[in-house]
Amino acid sequence: MSILSVKGLQKIYTTRFGGNKVEALRDVNFEVEKGEYVAIMGESGSGKTTLLNILAGLDKPTRGSVVLDGKDMASVKESAMAAFRRDNLGFVFQEFNLLDTFSIEDNIYLPLVLAGKSHREMRERLEPLAIELGIWDLLKKYPYEVSGGQKQRTAVARALITEPKLILADEPTGALDSKSTEELLRLFAEINMRGQTILMVTHSVKAASNAGRVLFIKDGEVYHQLYRGSSTAEEFYQKISNTLTIIATGGER
Amino acid sequence: MKAGFYSRIAITGMRQNRRLYVPYLLACTGMVMMGYIVYFLSVSSAVRSMSGGATVSAMMSLGYFIMMIFTAIFLFYTNSFLIRRRKKEFGLYNILGMGKRNIGRVLLMETLITAAVSIGAGLILGAVFSKLAELAMVNMIGGDISYSISVSLTAMAITAMSFCIIYALIFINGLRQIHTSNPAELMRSENVGEKPPKANLLLGIGGIILMAGAYYMAVSIKNPLSALTWFFVAVAMVIIATYLIFIAGSVLMCRLLQKNKRYYYKPNHFVSVSSMVYRMKRNGAGLASICILATMVLVMITGSACLYFGAEDSLHARYPKDISAEITLSDFNSVNEEKISLFRNIVDEVIDESHEKVRERVEYCDATVSGINRDGTIVLDADDGDINDMDRIVNFVFVSVDDYNRITGNDYHIAGNQVMTYGVRTDYDESRLTFEDGTEFEIVKKLDSFFVSGNTAMDVVPTIAVVVPDLKESLGGLSAHLKDIDQGLRIHWYTGFNTDGDETEQRQFTGKLEGRLRAEAIDGNDDIYSYSCESLEANRSDFYATYGGLFFLGIILSIIFLCATVLIIYYKQISEGYEDESRFEIMQKVGMTKRNIRRSINSQMLTIFLLPLAMAVIHLAFAFPMIEKLLLLFNLVNLKLLLATAGVSVLIFALFYMVVYKVTSQVYYNIVSGKRAETR
Repeated sequence: MSILSVKGLQKIYTTRFGGNKVEALRDVNFEVEKGEYVAIMGESGSGKTTLLNILAGLDKPTRGSVVLDGKDMASVKESAMAAFRRDNLGFVFQEFNLLDTFSIEDNIYLPLVLAGKSHREMRERLEPLAIELGIWDLLKKYPYEVSGGQKQRTAVARALITEPKLILADEPTGALDSKSTEELLRLFAEINMRGQTILMVTHSVKAASNAGRVLFIKDGEVYHQLYRGSSTAEEFYQKISNTLTIIATGGER
Repeated sequence: MKAGFYSRIAITGMRQNRRLYVPYLLACTGMVMMGYIVYFLSVSSAVRSMSGGATVSAMMSLGYFIMMIFTAIFLFYTNSFLIRRRKKEFGLYNILGMGKRNIGRVLLMETLITAAVSIGAGLILGAVFSKLAELAMVNMIGGDISYSISVSLTAMAITAMSFCIIYALIFINGLRQIHTSNPAELMRSENVGEKPPKANLLLGIGGIILMAGAYYMAVSIKNPLSALTWFFVAVAMVIIATYLIFIAGSVLMCRLLQKNKRYYYKPNHFVSVSSMVYRMKRNGAGLASICILATMVLVMITGSACLYFGAEDSLHARYPKDISAEITLSDFNSVNEEKISLFRNIVDEVIDESHEKVRERVEYCDATVSGINRDGTIVLDADDGDINDMDRIVNFVFVSVDDYNRITGNDYHIAGNQVMTYGVRTDYDESRLTFEDGTEFEIVKKLDSFFVSGNTAMDVVPTIAVVVPDLKESLGGLSAHLKDIDQGLRIHWYTGFNTDGDETEQRQFTGKLEGRLRAEAIDGNDDIYSYSCESLEANRSDFYATYGGLFFLGIILSIIFLCATVLIIYYKQISEGYEDESRFEIMQKVGMTKRNIRRSINSQMLTIFLLPLAMAVIHLAFAFPMIEKLLLLFNLVNLKLLLATAGVSVLIFALFYMVVYKVTSQVYYNIVSGKRAETR
């Protein structure tokens, strides 16, 4: 059963003083099954960020549709979009985007508070999550007091606490050292094993090789895709590398 | 070419930061305008030529000076917000290869533009509104209104010069800030994440104790004279306490709010409380400043308005009768009916000559002495200079019961050492009155009314009027004692009456009477120690000039303080808005709706706006008894008037405040919700 269905997505930006039109996405089609772990790769300017913004409801497509769990996102009103995002999507950003005015605990609570949940319910949801993510001891600390890896795990906790249908991760390992990167990827794999659907945009072959499927975007279209299948992480890493080389050198599909 | 380059950078910078520069320019222009108006009034011939005009003129020159000091402080303060905001931009220029010297030139251009615009516009507006102010001033004092419009070049030059000096100082300060920081620091200066402060219980408690002390002082002081001295102590205490309470208290309050999970974890409280905690230290100081400025405005406008609207009361307290004459005799024992009738005849003759219509004439003798009340005994010969004596000085006015009965139409009988008393600016509630020489009176009645003389009314020292059976008999011992210690018991003969005569007639009359009394004093009547004649109408314009001038200055200073308050709040919120921008961006990404943003801004703004106002009103309430005492020094006892002016002041202030609140929260909202109509 597909949880996310993207059909014929096109996005054209018009520069401010008329005239120049830039086609960021030409015709993007793909589906994500429930429980899948999908990575999207592409060079800078390939339209990755535009795609993610549209999926997140932060931007509107020029043409085409995005259906999340049977609901067409175009039908969600502007005013209800924030609430829709909050209830259905979880975000993990490259720059963590934690608020330095909140403690770690309150940062994680943020989406629940915005949803008007009671403190007891928040606490009940937080406990197992914080223990699993290994940030239980940090809850009272502030973002400036913890390491980058810990910050990113906090961000993951914030994304997971609403029990979203889909996690959107934008270069989640971009600002992490290699050890923290490994940890985070292991964490994503674990979360995915439990049935959480993840869509990750990344530059990193290492991060992508962790996913179950990799979509390659080039010039505003899905150019190619790879399934991990039964291959090991090393083998998959090799496959992705090769594909990237072919794309970069302009080879056949 | 080069100059054009710098000015272009300066103009672009100002335009891009217009949210900050427009209010600053407006404030500067307003200050220039008010400066011109005040100086214009001090040199205006229309003001000078009216009676009492000299007083107004002197007051306005002093007022101008005070005003300039406050203006300089406020502009300095508001400018620091601008500099802090611009530092990043300057840092970028620096990294791109602009030397600090060049940045200094950009800053110079900015200052020159600000100065040119604000001084130019301010002087034009000032010239337009100065006539209005002049009319208001003349009308307040009750002079003749002329409608000719004049512009004072002197005032323009002086105002322009004063502001040039202020701008120069601000420029130098800006240079100093740029020179003492390096580019990396300049780039960063706005995003210094600070640790959330710990609540300092000790400071908070200290503040509360200090505040309680000041409040107690304000409420418990009975003596207007000590009110005058302690007023400034109380003010200082309140200012310190306000800072302590806001700095420590606000942190504490937010921490408590955070502890209350049910309150804290609500969408509109969550964000506002946490961001307030985060910036509490700065917030607290800012809030305290706002609170103190608000209190100053309220106290100043209440006091000066009350004085002005109560001027008629004060005038009549100071001059109980339209015309009055008083003769002070040097020797207590030489007073007799014969001498008094001599004086009376002189007055009668002058009345006959000038065909004055005399109404409500009174005449009496009183004797006065001052002493120090030490534990119930009145010490007359105190030269040991005890510091506490200041609060214990008491004047006594003795009147015979016959005079009292005749004037008030009562029929009291007292004898021996029985007396009746009436307290002015004091409630003397002992049952006996003992002087150091052993003279002792038994107070048998506290009187409800007394004909308080103008001199007593004018004095600042508490005065007890004592009605004795007979002046000579009752005070013989005291008089002899005073003579022994080289002092004397002053005795006065007083007469006063009302008349229908206008100011000129009254002046003529007092002039004539004074001439006769002078002749009498020179012509061998050694008993006359001094004499005086006064008329109410001759002094009316001076009274109104003083009080009207005070009121006018009160309004001008209040406007300046109000502007300062408003600007501080505005800049505080705006700079916080810029800091919060990225936070709200993140929160919007994780699902904060525009509605949530609105709500949390409202919750935060309301707290920030209401707290200082509420505190200021409490301050005013406790300052009330003190203001009342201080107004007593101006012979003003109209409590209703005081309450009314305070009420109206608070109302106007709150109204104005609400408007600013609305505007500020809108701008804040536009910043944090990413609605950027302006290019940044």
